[in-house]
Amino acid sequence: MIARLADHRAGRAFIASRDQLERIPFFIRVIVILAIVGGSVLLNGDDYVTSVAVSVATYAMLGLGLNIVVGYAGLLDLGYAAFFAIGAYTSAMLMTIAHWNFFATLPLAVLFTGTAGAILGYPTLRLRSDYLAIVTLGFGEMTRITFNNWDYAGGPNGILDIPWPNFFGYQLSTQGDFFVVGLVLLAIAMIFAQNLDHSRLGRGWVAIKEDEFAAESVGVPSLRLKLFAYVMGGMWGGLAGAFFATRIGAIDPTSFTFQLSVLVLIVIVLGGTGSLPGVLLGALVVVGLPEVLRQFADQRLLIFAVLLIGVMLLRPQGLWPRVRRKPKPFYGLQEEEAGDVAARILGEHQVQMEERDRRHAAAGHQVPQPGEALLEVEGLVQQFGGLRAVDNVSFNVQRGEIFSLIGPNGGGKTTVFNCITGVQKPKRGRIRFDGRSVVGLRPHVIVSRGIGRTFQGIRLFKNMAVFENVMVGLYPRHRTMTWQAMLHTPGERTDELRTLQESRRWLGFVGLESLAGRLATELSYADQRRVEIARALAAHPHLVLFDEPAAGMNPTEKLELVGIIRKIRDLGITVLLIEHDMSLVMRVSDRIGVLDHGVLIALGKPAEVQQNPTVIEAYLGRDEDDVIVKAQGA
Amino acid sequence: MGPFLEYTVIGLTVGSFYALVALGYTIVYGIIRLINFAQGDLSMVGAFLGWTLLVSFGFQRLPLYLALIAAFVVPMLGTAVVNLGILQFAYKPLLKKSMLAILITALGMSLFLQNSAELIWGPAIQAYPPNLLPANGLFMGPVHLTYVQIALVFVSLLLMGGLVAFIQRTTVGTAMRALAVDHDAARLMGIDVDAIIRLAFVLGAMLAAASGVMLGLYYVQIQFTMGFLLGLRAFTAAVLGGIGNIPGAMAGGMLIGLLEAYTTGYLSGKWEDVLVFGVLITVLIVKPTGLFGERVAERM
Repeated sequence: MIARLADHRAGRAFIASRDQLERIPFFIRVIVILAIVGGSVLLNGDDYVTSVAVSVATYAMLGLGLNIVVGYAGLLDLGYAAFFAIGAYTSAMLMTIAHWNFFATLPLAVLFTGTAGAILGYPTLRLRSDYLAIVTLGFGEMTRITFNNWDYAGGPNGILDIPWPNFFGYQLSTQGDFFVVGLVLLAIAMIFAQNLDHSRLGRGWVAIKEDEFAAESVGVPSLRLKLFAYVMGGMWGGLAGAFFATRIGAIDPTSFTFQLSVLVLIVIVLGGTGSLPGVLLGALVVVGLPEVLRQFADQRLLIFAVLLIGVMLLRPQGLWPRVRRKPKPFYGLQEEEAGDVAARILGEHQVQMEERDRRHAAAGHQVPQPGEALLEVEGLVQQFGGLRAVDNVSFNVQRGEIFSLIGPNGGGKTTVFNCITGVQKPKRGRIRFDGRSVVGLRPHVIVSRGIGRTFQGIRLFKNMAVFENVMVGLYPRHRTMTWQAMLHTPGERTDELRTLQESRRWLGFVGLESLAGRLATELSYADQRRVEIARALAAHPHLVLFDEPAAGMNPTEKLELVGIIRKIRDLGITVLLIEHDMSLVMRVSDRIGVLDHGVLIALGKPAEVQQNPTVIEAYLGRDEDDVIVKAQGA
Repeated sequence: MGPFLEYTVIGLTVGSFYALVALGYTIVYGIIRLINFAQGDLSMVGAFLGWTLLVSFGFQRLPLYLALIAAFVVPMLGTAVVNLGILQFAYKPLLKKSMLAILITALGMSLFLQNSAELIWGPAIQAYPPNLLPANGLFMGPVHLTYVQIALVFVSLLLMGGLVAFIQRTTVGTAMRALAVDHDAARLMGIDVDAIIRLAFVLGAMLAAASGVMLGLYYVQIQFTMGFLLGLRAFTAAVLGGIGNIPGAMAGGMLIGLLEAYTTGYLSGKWEDVLVFGVLITVLIVKPTGLFGERVAERM
C-alpha cells in the first residue's frame, strides 16, 4: 500500500517535472541537448569519433527534411538523394568554378533544391502514394545519371578539391569545426521542424494524412500543402548536401544513389516517423551501427539487414515514436462567461459577414440580400456511365432560409451536394453562389468562397481531438504566412490563440465544450455529427450543406439538432439540408425540393410538397396510404 | 530498317523478362498493397539456384530437355519456398500494422537476400553454361532470330498465358480477384485470405525465378547484385501498366524492354534510365493510374 502510494507520488512528481520541462521553450531544450552532446564529443577529441558524429549530424539533417515529406505530409519519397545531390553540386560548383564562399553558396543551394522540390512535386501530387514511390525513385535516378553524364560537372569523376569553408576569416579545417557547423545547422533544422509541426500547417498535414478528401472539403488546400512539404524537404536536403560537399572535399555521382535515399528513409522509419528525437536516434543507429559492425567486415550489411528487419518486427512504430499525449484543450486561454459565448459568436459572425459582403461588393459582384437567391442551380446534369444521377435540376436557395432536399434513396441528393462543393464536376449546368460560378473550382476554394458542409458518413479526423478537428475547419481563416509559422512569431502565436478561442466558441455553440479534449472517435454518433457541424461552421460560411445530419440520432438528439439548425439560421447562415426524417424536415424547412431518380419533381413550402401527388407517389407508389402526413403527425 | 527490327527483337526478349518480374510485383501489390522490393532479388535467387543445378551439380550434361526442365522447375519451387518464408517471417506480423514499416522490411529483405547470396555463391560473376543452347537461328530477311530468343519469349508468353487463365478461369483465381477488391468482404464469403496471400507470394516467386533462369541463359553472366536493376525495371513496368493490373504488367514490361533497346541502339546506354523514367513520369502525369490501370473510385 505504502509502496503503491510512493509510486503514485513518484509518478506525479515525474509528470509535474515533465510539465515543467515542457514549459521551457523547445529551442532552448534543443540547444542545451545539442550543446551537451556536442561538448562531450569535442572534449573526447578523438578524430574518428568526431568524424562519425559529423556523419550522424548530416544524416539527421537529411532525416529531418525527409521527415517533413514522409512523417508530416505522409508522402512516400524514395528519391530524396536527388535533393542532397543538387545541393551538393550547386555549392561545390559555385565554390570551385566561381570561387564563392561556402556560406554564400547556401542560399542558392537551398533555392535550387526548393525549386527542384516544386518541379518534382507539382505534376505528381495527384498520384496515389504507391505511384509516388516509383516517380520519386525515378527522379532520384534521373538526377544522379544526369550528373554522371554532365561533363561540366565532372561526369563520373565528380568535383574534386572543394575548398573548406571560411567563416569571416576563420578557416574551418578540423572534424571538430565541421561538427560545430553541423550541430548549428541541425539545431536550426530541428527548431523549424518543431514549429511547423505545431502550426496550422502541421494540423493541415495531419488532416490530409487522415482523410485528404475531408480535409479538402473543410478548406485545407491539400495540393498546396503537399507541394510545400516537397519544397521544404528539398531545401533541407540541399542544405545537408552543401554541408556534405565541403566537408568531404570531393563529390561524385556515386555518393547520391538510391541506396542513400533508402538509408535516409530507414533513418526516419527506424527512429519513429514524425518524431524529432526519433530522427536523431535513427541517424545514430544507421550511421553508428555499421561502424560498430566494422569488425565483421564481410557480413556487415547482412547483419545490418537482419537487425533492421528485427527492429521493424518488434517495434513497427519505430525506436522513439512520436508521442501524442492527451491534448490539453484551450491551453492558455482565458475563461469566458457562458452567456457571453453565443453573443460573441453572433457578433463575430456578423462582422465576418459584413466584411465579406463589403469585399464582395467592392469587387463588383452583386451581393444577394436576405430573400434573394444565394445559391442558383440551373440545368444541373451529372452522369455516371449510363446512369443519369442528376437530370436537369434547377433550384434556388435564398439567403437566410432553410432549404431541404428530400427524396427516395438514389434520388441524386448527395450528387447535387458533391457538385455544389466541387467534389464532382457536373456534366452540364450552372451553379452560381453569391452571384459567381463555382463550377470547376477545387473544394477548398469553394469553402473559402463561403460554403461549408458535413458528410453523410461521418468524416472526422479520427486521431485528432475534438477541438483540433474544429481548428482544422478554421484553416481558411488563418492570416499568418508560412515563414511566420516556421519562426513561431508573436503574430503567429496570436493567430493560433484566436483559432483556439474560436474553436471553443463553436464547440460551445453546438454544446460540446466539455468534450473538447476527447478523441473524435470516443464520442457518440450524435456528438460526432455535432462536431462536424461545428467544424463546418468554423470557417464562417454563408451557406452550410448538411448531409443527413439526423441519421442515427434518437428523438431527443434530433430535437436538439432542430434547435442547432435554427440557431445557425439565426446567425444569418443559409442552410441546405438533405434529410430522410420527414418530421424534422417539415419542422425546420422554409422550402423543400424533392428529387426522384435525378429529377426535381416538386419544389415549394412544406405543406405544398406534402400534398403533392407526384411526391406521394414517388415515396409510396400508387394507391398507398399517405405516410408522409402520418410522419408529420408523429 | 535492319537495326530497327533487331532492336525490336532484343527489346521484346528483355521485355518479357521484365514482364515476368513485374507480374510478381503486381500480383502481390494487388492482394496486400505492398511493393515487395525483394521481387528482383528473388529473380537473382532463382538464377543462382538454376546455375547451381546446371553447373555445380552437372545437370548440363543431361539431355537438353531434361536439364532445362530441371533448371526451371527446381529454382521456381525453391524460390517459392524462400518467398513464403519471407512472407511468413517478415511481412505477416506487420500486415495489419504499418505500411511504412513493412516497406522498410521489404527493403531490408532485398538487402538480406543480396548479402546472403554473396555469402553463399560468392561476390564473383558466375557463368551459365554458354553452349547449352544452340546459337543458331532463323534469318527473317535481315533479322537474325536465335532459337534461344524464340524459346525464351515463347516460355514467357506461356507462363503469362497460364497465369491469366488461372486468375480468370479458376475458382481460386476468382477468389484472388475478390481479395484484391476487399479483404473483409472476401473473408466473409468464406475465402481463406491467408492461403490466397500465400498463393500470391508463391506465384510471384515462381515467375521471378523463371525470369532469373532465362536471364542467365540469355546473358550467360549472373551476379548477386543483378536483382536490383531487374527489380527496378520491373517495378517501373508494373507501374507503367497500372500496378495491380495483370495485362498492364505484361504490356509495361514489353514497353520498357523496347524502350531500353531503342535507346541503347539509337542514342547511347548512358541515357537509358533517364528515358525510361522520363516516359514513366510523363505517362503518370497524363494518366495517373498507369496505361491500363482502372480509375480508383473516390470514397464519398
